[in-house]
Amino acid sequence: MGRIVFAGAMSHVLDPDYYDRACGELGRRSVLAAMAEIARMGERLSRKDPDALIVVADDHLNAFSFNCVPALCVRIGRRVQRMTQDHAEAFDKVLDHMPTEYPLHEALANAILEQGLASGFDLALSWEAPVDHAFLSPVNTMHGPRPIPPLVPIFVNAFVAPQPTARRCFAFGQHIARVVATSPWNVGIIATGGLSHFPELSLPRVGETDTVFDRKLIHWMETGEHAPLQALTADELHKTGSHEFLNWMVLLGAVTPARADVRYFGELPRINLAAVEWGLG
Amino acid sequence: MSRYGVNSVLYRLKKDPDFRARFTEDAAGTLAGADLTDAERAAFVARDMRTINELGGYLHLVMSIPGLAGH
Repeated sequence: MGRIVFAGAMSHVLDPDYYDRACGELGRRSVLAAMAEIARMGERLSRKDPDALIVVADDHLNAFSFNCVPALCVRIGRRVQRMTQDHAEAFDKVLDHMPTEYPLHEALANAILEQGLASGFDLALSWEAPVDHAFLSPVNTMHGPRPIPPLVPIFVNAFVAPQPTARRCFAFGQHIARVVATSPWNVGIIATGGLSHFPELSLPRVGETDTVFDRKLIHWMETGEHAPLQALTADELHKTGSHEFLNWMVLLGAVTPARADVRYFGELPRINLAAVEWGLG
Repeated sequence: MSRYGVNSVLYRLKKDPDFRARFTEDAAGTLAGADLTDAERAAFVARDMRTINELGGYLHLVMSIPGLAGH
């Protein structure tokens, strides 16, 4: 009988130089503080000795282009490659010094995919999609020099409208929990991205956040009130710059009704950085 | 508005170094065969990332094209 032994969510551009360029010394200090908490979360994950780590994140039009943008996609196969980018700019630069290849937990990924299709989730699959900073920045920050467990990357289309609904992402997370529960594996799960940044995906609004909205999301997660989170609309997420909260919705479905403990929340002009962990009993 | 046209050019500029190099040398010539409106083409030739974003170019592409990124 398997179980989810660790659940956490966190921002995913974990790069002091990026925030130094974007927000100055405050940005560097803030992301270093967030990264320290995320590293401690990683230590707690490692102590659970998980058989696999599910990573729910979004692609930034690196793995998928305009030939196909899947709503929900399970990365299957035996290994996954880091996204490569010549002369990387901005958030892509964080990948530069990370390992280029990672093992996958093929059996768990296949189980999530196959049982998902059998139970009504029309999931996409990929054997080749690389993963970008949304996956690898948190995974490497959590593990440092320690071995990284076999991954199960799950892509959520957070940016290219129309996205899957918050309610559907939550239901997919519940599906993941059912798969894990009937498996022989102890599994960690993380969701990445956010919190509020880049409202309406508008270049002139880069530098704005919606802290009031973020605090509302955090309150609901802390109190285990998952019904209002499932009712979040695409319009709300778009206007507040909370597109990536869809990744968190998958995790919430997987751990509901667990309550969240906030490890870090810090406001910056460009983004509100966050690191959250769920008590799983 | 042709979001596909704008974004397919952005994607190639990010992921295809040869295309990016040709664009840097001769933007108008490189885009001659692209399916773009006059406004979209003018924005690319001017490297006006803000307008490209307003015309439907996805923010994360606009912000991450080597040498052209709008921050």
